[in-house]
Amino acid sequence: KFAIASVFMWTAPLLILQAYKRDLLPGFSSLSPEVQTIVCGLLAVVSVNVVIAFYILSAMREPPTSTEPKPDPEFVSRARASVEAL
Amino acid sequence: MRAADSSSWRHALLYISPYTFAAIGIAISIGVSVLGASWGIYVTGSSLIGAAIKAPRITSKNLISVIFCEAVAIYGVIVAIILQTKLESVTRDYQHTAESMRAGYSIFASGIIVGFANLVCGICVGVIGSSCALSDAQNSTLFVKILVIEIFGSALGLFGVIVGIIMSAQATWPKAT
Repeated sequence: KFAIASVFMWTAPLLILQAYKRDLLPGFSSLSPEVQTIVCGLLAVVSVNVVIAFYILSAMREPPTSTEPKPDPEFVSRARASVEAL
Repeated sequence: MRAADSSSWRHALLYISPYTFAAIGIAISIGVSVLGASWGIYVTGSSLIGAAIKAPRITSKNLISVIFCEAVAIYGVIVAIILQTKLESVTRDYQHTAESMRAGYSIFASGIIVGFANLVCGICVGVIGSSCALSDAQNSTLFVKILVIEIFGSALGLFGVIVGIIMSAQATWPKAT
């Protein structure tokens, strides 16, 4: 999931920038060059943030796992005994 | 005008080609952004790996911090590509006109803004992400609260990117008449 999110994070803004270079974005050519640059840049930044938001949502929805290691009971009892001996 | 003025520092600075400034700006925007992102990733990653030994459940959620740091590098790439598209060739006669100098300085300033904003953003997100991993390993209820702080830290890089893009939008080179 992390790898997929990383790939999308890189490809989404690069695709938007390429589409801007090749005049594939509809309605763009009617804007002035300054506005085109600003809109294209902000679109690319927003696309990165959309991917981040999706990743955060999917990570928060994951069920909690119970794979934490349990300490060895003999080790715990010996450690407790040594502390009590002090 | 004194004869010494032609060899003064002012003369030297004014006659540096605007393309030099523009190229340095593009290099700074990507180079320093990646520096910030990598700094953040190694600070977060080392804490995350250490904390995950005793609490492996923290791994998937705390990769969000690494994603935030990576986004910082991507902002630098986006702005570097935008700045690169702003470079145009002008003839030698127009190279040191006011409009050319303005374009060169705009691209230079845009690169510095984005580069250094992303540098501090990457460090900020990295340190917060490291604390997030360590505290999540102890108490999972703290994760969301620290994530909010991380989002605010990530916004610092966004401010720099937005200003950098607006700055570069007005970089226009003179057309030969």
